[in-house]
Amino acid sequence: MSIMEYNGGSVIAMAGKDCVAIASDLRLGNQMLSISSNFQRVFPVTDRIYIGLPGLATDVTTLRERFRLRVNMYTIKEEREIEPEAFTHLVSSTLYEHRFGPYFISPVVAGISKTPTGGIKPFIAATDLIGCINFAKDFVVSGTASSKLFGVAEGLWEPDLGPEDLFETISQTLLNAVDRDAFSGWGAVVHVITKDQVITRKLKARMD
Amino acid sequence: MADMVSIPHSQPQQHQFNPYTENGGTILAIAGADFSVIAGDTRQSEGYSIQTRYAPKVFRLTDKAVLAVNGFAADGNMFVKKVRQRLEWYRHAHAKDMPIRAIARLIQTMLYSRRFFPYYVYNILGGIEEDGTGAVYSFDPVGSYEREACRAAGAAQSLVQPFLDNQIYFKNQTPAPGTSFPGHLSLSTVLSLVIDSFTSATERHIEVGDGLEMYIVLAKNSPSIQSLRDIRGMSELTATEDGERVFVVRRDLKKD
Amino acid sequence: MNSFVDQFSTHSPTAQLKRAQKLIAAEEDDYSDAAWGSQAGFGGMIKGIPAFKVPAVADPTAFLRLHTDDHADPNCRIKIQHGTTTLAFRFKGGVIVAVDSRATAGSYVASGTVKKVIEINPYLLGTMAGGAADCQFWETYLGMHCRLHELRNRERISVSAASKYLSNLVYSYKGMGLSMGTMICGWDKTGPAVFYVDSDGTRLKGDLFSVGSGSTFAYGVLDQGYRWDLTDEEAQELGRRSIFAAGHRDAMSGNTCNLYHVKEEGWDFIGNYDISKMYYEGPGDVPGAPGGGYGYAIRTEGRSAANPPPS
Repeated sequence: MSIMEYNGGSVIAMAGKDCVAIASDLRLGNQMLSISSNFQRVFPVTDRIYIGLPGLATDVTTLRERFRLRVNMYTIKEEREIEPEAFTHLVSSTLYEHRFGPYFISPVVAGISKTPTGGIKPFIAATDLIGCINFAKDFVVSGTASSKLFGVAEGLWEPDLGPEDLFETISQTLLNAVDRDAFSGWGAVVHVITKDQVITRKLKARMD
Repeated sequence: MADMVSIPHSQPQQHQFNPYTENGGTILAIAGADFSVIAGDTRQSEGYSIQTRYAPKVFRLTDKAVLAVNGFAADGNMFVKKVRQRLEWYRHAHAKDMPIRAIARLIQTMLYSRRFFPYYVYNILGGIEEDGTGAVYSFDPVGSYEREACRAAGAAQSLVQPFLDNQIYFKNQTPAPGTSFPGHLSLSTVLSLVIDSFTSATERHIEVGDGLEMYIVLAKNSPSIQSLRDIRGMSELTATEDGERVFVVRRDLKKD
Repeated sequence: MNSFVDQFSTHSPTAQLKRAQKLIAAEEDDYSDAAWGSQAGFGGMIKGIPAFKVPAVADPTAFLRLHTDDHADPNCRIKIQHGTTTLAFRFKGGVIVAVDSRATAGSYVASGTVKKVIEINPYLLGTMAGGAADCQFWETYLGMHCRLHELRNRERISVSAASKYLSNLVYSYKGMGLSMGTMICGWDKTGPAVFYVDSDGTRLKGDLFSVGSGSTFAYGVLDQGYRWDLTDEEAQELGRRSIFAAGHRDAMSGNTCNLYHVKEEGWDFIGNYDISKMYYEGPGDVPGAPGGGYGYAIRTEGRSAANPPPS
């Protein structure tokens, strides 16, 4: 039995044109037994950054609080909001601190970052459970359905999708991937982050 | 006190009998109303090494049936050889090709006869049923089987199958108000989905790539022949005058 | 004259063919001459139990377990599909048989359209739990022997005899690694009957069984709603509702429910129901269904602040 599959759950993030989306399922299981259909594993970090924490449920709660503390400390010290790039490195170093007794979480970060010229750039990244960062231009996946998410996303994703098309693409990718995974599903939630708002929608997913 | 000296003796060595390896690759079959497409990549690997960039995994059995095998290549090739032998015996005894549903049952019994020493092979059988409809039968290594409309197997099955669920069965999709999903997909749609599936799998799975072979089986007088006209790199393999026709299309996939 | 010469000649085409067949048969697969004909692999089996190729190792069972058992080693290569919920119960109106349709290999949902009810013949049903191939193959094989029984004895085989035939058969392979938990259901001279047969050799007669990873969930609903004098509609609904419960809670069960009803005239296929659709909308317009979704969140919608009415 893999501890990464003990509670189940998956997260995916996709980049679009001036927007990003992050989505996850809502299942919390105890191996084969499904316990909750409303277990949130994607959390806001700032107005423009979201983090998804698929993996062991107890570490979801712990890490969420830990990141909250560290982001608050950063904000106080720097007197500015953290940027997605910096936050990803914060995530990475937090995880690497526990190199030989890791948190069983492989996070996904999605956000909108500011460019030096004053523009905006969609940002997505994922790390493994000890903090190795994968900056991607298209999409990142994590969790028990990761291989399924890779397959569908590779087939459906295209560059420069607007917020509504990106929502449809990420939703279809997530729903169809988790339906082929026994440990993910039981509801789903999608956040689409744009320059000036975040749209959060719950999806009607298969309940088996 | 010589007898007190313990003589260092080696432990009895245990050797494990491991006759199986995994040779990677992926196969896929989709059934249409009056056609069937059976495809597979041509890379054969062992671990991180590529043994060959061209090792066929899809084989024409008759003009109505094509078999794709995936798993352990040696078992797969031997299995295809034995199925072909049995089909030839059938042809000699009955002066006709075995119908596909009978081939499916034959494959079940052949696989199950090795229940205690299984062929490490996942089989997908595609072709045309006696009533002229497209058919896909998928098998597990010990012979349980099911008729389906579409199935992916092998290294990238978990990448390809959910994509196909979405695009072939329209899973998790709702038709726009006042419209409905097409009852049957056209051959050209199916072929482009197959190509997309394999390019996606090649992108994200190290064991998939190099080449793609797509076999197309058409029912008697199938109008789907029209959409084959402008397909690049196609050749016909039909051997009998029965009416069903078999074609193969070869494409390159990324080799990295 | 030709045939007489052929029979004893050592180099005629017939003799050569016979020799080739013998060679091939000796080489492996142990197909009899009947296999040469049209009866597919089952051809040679009428004469007795088919022969199986066994690896030339000291302990063939350990070999098989090493390569196929995913409980011992989740990374083993040959994944035999597992995970199921099946149930069958006897009541006044016959036997209800209900199953899910999911097959999982590890965490991958290998199929959502498996037929876990095996139609042995028009009045006998078998269910599938454990190794899919074991159940499919041996229950098909059982069907052939039930037909032979009919031809020999001019009457249908009893459910008891059929299940005992299967039980004795799998018992002869005990310890070899077969994996099946099945319910043989039918209607014979004694009325409706259900027998539980598994690959350990257990054979139990009873009113109510559920087998598979989701059986505990199914039993919960089943025990609560079961009575002998259920109407046909109530019984069908109970079967459907029990499979729904299992499909909902058990990660390795789900997708759809197949429902059968065995009556005196033989079995009837009642229908195929999407489990997720049952959660949101119920099984549709079918007799016995209360109307509305089975899902807890659906049933309690708008009744508490935690589950407010849809906006």
